[in-house]
Amino acid sequence: MDDQGCPRCKTTKYRNPSLKLMVNVCGHTLCENCVEMLFVRGSGNCVQCDTPLRKSNFRVQLFEDPTVDKEVEIRKKVLKIYNKRDVDFPSLREYNDYLEQVEDIVYNLTSNIDVENTKLRMEQYQRENRDVIQKNKAKLTREQEELEELLLLEQRDNEQRRLDVLQEEQRQLQAKRKNKQALLDELEQSRLPATILLAQHKVRAAQLETQIEQQKQVVKPTNIFSTGIHMRQTVSLQPVPRIEEVLYTYKPLHIEIYGPPVPELEQLGRLGYLNHVRAAMPQDTAGGYNSALACHRALQDAFSGLFPLKR
Amino acid sequence: MFHISSQRKYWIFKSDDELEQLRQKANQKFRNKIHESGKTGVSASSFLERHEEDVLFKHYERRLLDFCNAFKPVMPKSVVGTAIMYFRRFYLNNSIMEYHPRIIMLICAYLSCKVEEFNVSSTQFVGNLLQETPAGQERVLEQILEYELPLIQQLNFHLVVHTPYRPMEGLLIDIKTRYPMLENPESLRKSADDFLTQATMTDAGLLFPPSQIALTAILNSSSRAGLSMESYLTECLGLRGDKESLSKMYESMRRMKTLLKKYELPKAEEVNVYKQKLERIHAEFSPSNKRKRGYEEDGHVAKEARLEEEVWTDEDLM
Repeated sequence: MDDQGCPRCKTTKYRNPSLKLMVNVCGHTLCENCVEMLFVRGSGNCVQCDTPLRKSNFRVQLFEDPTVDKEVEIRKKVLKIYNKRDVDFPSLREYNDYLEQVEDIVYNLTSNIDVENTKLRMEQYQRENRDVIQKNKAKLTREQEELEELLLLEQRDNEQRRLDVLQEEQRQLQAKRKNKQALLDELEQSRLPATILLAQHKVRAAQLETQIEQQKQVVKPTNIFSTGIHMRQTVSLQPVPRIEEVLYTYKPLHIEIYGPPVPELEQLGRLGYLNHVRAAMPQDTAGGYNSALACHRALQDAFSGLFPLKR
Repeated sequence: MFHISSQRKYWIFKSDDELEQLRQKANQKFRNKIHESGKTGVSASSFLERHEEDVLFKHYERRLLDFCNAFKPVMPKSVVGTAIMYFRRFYLNNSIMEYHPRIIMLICAYLSCKVEEFNVSSTQFVGNLLQETPAGQERVLEQILEYELPLIQQLNFHLVVHTPYRPMEGLLIDIKTRYPMLENPESLRKSADDFLTQATMTDAGLLFPPSQIALTAILNSSSRAGLSMESYLTECLGLRGDKESLSKMYESMRRMKTLLKKYELPKAEEVNVYKQKLERIHAEFSPSNKRKRGYEEDGHVAKEARLEEEVWTDEDLM
């Protein structure tokens, strides 16, 4: 878990478990303090591999293995350039080839193999596909905006619902209080006997309760499916491609016995074989055994391989 | 079932000559191995010849059969048949000079009990070695466990053996049901059983399918009793129109009967002579025996000295 401590100050990670490790572009880790130290002195070289660094290049380590972090950074940069999607390709094979290209590039850059060539390739690709990249970038931002809008909408709806519920509760509480107050007032002023007043009050309370129950039952009709598609919105789907293949016909399995045919298990009783086999005792039948099974097995063994092979 | 079994694919051979060739190869392989390992003072005569090996093989096979018959609890016939088949298959590809038969036969019996689901614990098994002390039985058990896996390997892990006993039962059932001309098929059972036991002591199991062996047994015993069963073959087995198959089947049956007639129990004097030769060979040439006892080198485990092992002879088995 510890990653064996920071390579520079070596001790601090053990002593201070809350200390975070930072990773830079060369894939080596440094704890926060050491990062500060390194850039206070103005020199910006990695301790282990001596590549020149900038303070802004340090990010908090998310993964245990610093090479993973390094790869994640590289991948983000590469994918900014290689941002084609599966709809941009005429066939699945080409899309897969493209993806493999991307992976090769990421791998090369991460393991520092052939960095020059890879960078050249990237630049070439960038030049060639400039407009496609732009288009895709625009598409991406648009999609992200849409998603954010949806999220916002959902949030607002939730808030609204919460407020509604609160209001309802408040109203109900108030109604109950009013009812009680009315009772007290009537007890003070009215001429009717107390029992009748109490009975009236009870009836009114019961009515209130049923009202509240009914309101709870009412479900607000919604106009949107849980996936976010509006009801009554027609979604156009691509027509399913037709695949034509040879129709499968069932052929029963045939195993060569090299002997005379064995009668079926169910026929054995009728054909009289079971008369010559020991009958099943009650203890045997409890487990599902019947004499036809033993008889059938003996016959199968007797007939299997009985005839000589035809050479 | 037999028709899809490994026995039919790998362990049924076409003729006696093929079997003889395999055994010859095994013999030669051992001789080459010893020559290559550069032992001096080895002459060709100190090795066993093929016919000497055969005599010893038959002798030990007989011992195996007697061991299984004297076994307590009573061993079912299929277990005995499987054990003898393992023994036979093992020595098809290996020479007696390399692995001593007295231990291989015990391992075959032990393995056969396991495979045929005849539940015997290992202590119970070695308890049947009546001449040994309990400590001696322990030692035998260790040896058994040591060589069990090499045995299975040499059998090419083909452990399921189809013996002719169940086919015989099936044929008797079929005869009783479909062949009323024979009044009492049960009378055939005893001599057919004897035929089958004799057949296990020959190479019949390696040359013919077990159902054919069973059929031969029944036909043989019926002809001994003077009853004719030709029509069973033609009518019930549906071979009336198939003259070729019918003649081939008669041919196989004739071959099988010849095999049985050729079998002769080895003579005691010969056996003794060859046995001494075998002991000498094993004493000289079996480095594997001493190498496998790894814990001598360890020094930690101090069991009694292994030298006593060699003193154990065949007589101790019965």
